[in-house]
Amino acid sequence: MSIGKIEGVALRGLVSVVPARKVDNLEVPAELVPARDRLVRNVGIRFRRLCRKGTTFADLSETAARRLLDGMGWDSVDVLIVVTQTPDYPIPGNAVQLQDRLGLPRSTVAFDINLGCSGYPFGVFTAAGMLKGSGFRRALVVVGDQSASDGAADEGREILFSDAATATALELDDAAAPLFFEGYTDGSGYRAIYVPHGGRRHPLNDKSTLPRECEDGIVRKDTDVWLDGPAILNFSTREAPLAIQRVLGETGIDEASVDRYFLHQANRMINETIRKKLRIDPERMPMTLYDFGNTSSASIPLTMTVDSAARLREGKVRSLLCGFGIGLSWGTMVIDTDRIFAPDLIEV
Amino acid sequence: MDLNQFLENFTAAVDFEEAVEMELGTELATLQEWDSLAALGVIVMADLEYGVSLTGQDLKGCATIGDIAAIIERKQG
Repeated sequence: MSIGKIEGVALRGLVSVVPARKVDNLEVPAELVPARDRLVRNVGIRFRRLCRKGTTFADLSETAARRLLDGMGWDSVDVLIVVTQTPDYPIPGNAVQLQDRLGLPRSTVAFDINLGCSGYPFGVFTAAGMLKGSGFRRALVVVGDQSASDGAADEGREILFSDAATATALELDDAAAPLFFEGYTDGSGYRAIYVPHGGRRHPLNDKSTLPRECEDGIVRKDTDVWLDGPAILNFSTREAPLAIQRVLGETGIDEASVDRYFLHQANRMINETIRKKLRIDPERMPMTLYDFGNTSSASIPLTMTVDSAARLREGKVRSLLCGFGIGLSWGTMVIDTDRIFAPDLIEV
Repeated sequence: MDLNQFLENFTAAVDFEEAVEMELGTELATLQEWDSLAALGVIVMADLEYGVSLTGQDLKGCATIGDIAAIIERKQG
């Protein structure tokens, strides 16, 4: 079986939170503006959001989750999953901390999933799978990262990432339309996006934080997120269109019945290439890169909020989600929603 | 391959800040904008215009603009 199908679980609510602190990628010394302008034009990212000093992804998550629980009128959930790669501590994960901070009962099953840009469909599917047939009724899926950099030597990475947290509510509902999910993994590409030092394979040493020029001419530290631009571009623009076509083909879902394609917001070159290959008009495949950058696993739900909060509140929406990146991994989901709790974007 | 069209595609893909005179024999290293961003632009252009997947390694092996055209033609088969 390549495509998972879950019936009887509804996506009930979605809240997205970004830091109010905004950085303009064009705010550079005058002599650097033309080059930076070219970079911004091609990558498609003008503004990024950064957590204030002392604030972490866990804090944004708490705001998102509280707003969602309030909106749903829930004082407990059975399952709390956090999808992040930027936890407060190397161990334990953020979900356990969040259970306590949200005042959720000790009977909450809480754990983290370590995934980045592809993570939203994986997290939603995991939670939905846990609800189905288990006796559990409600799940909260918190997704996002604090990956914005501030002063990286690698300019291509510096202008890319932005912070955000999102919370999604799932609930058992016999009347819910089935959701479909396909997850793919190619671990041979793990070096396309990775942090070389700081784990057990290569613990931190005296040289880990020294910048050095790499083979491709980019200056990096071994504690940075290393991005292999050409490899990521080739992977994303090859696999995402294939996955979307495969999921539509195998489920028999009519392409025209998809109201919105919410793709991971990687960069403009990647997203536009995928869109052109699929021949989908920009309105149905919204892009939020210009204002919010690449927010890792939060980019799909954040784009749902920014582009479609009113639509999600007011009616039925069929969404196709496709996340792709670190791993390499990529996940595609088709999910129908009906008048969910979806407030406008929250800034803190 | 229409080489004039290729030069046009290449120019658009690199997104030069100012117009640059170039021909197929122009050395990539002499182009100020021949950087990692330009490489990504050329990879997208090869994919969308010629249906060819170029790797970072392919581009590293190119000295001139014509070398890129030659790889694309070879990969088109």
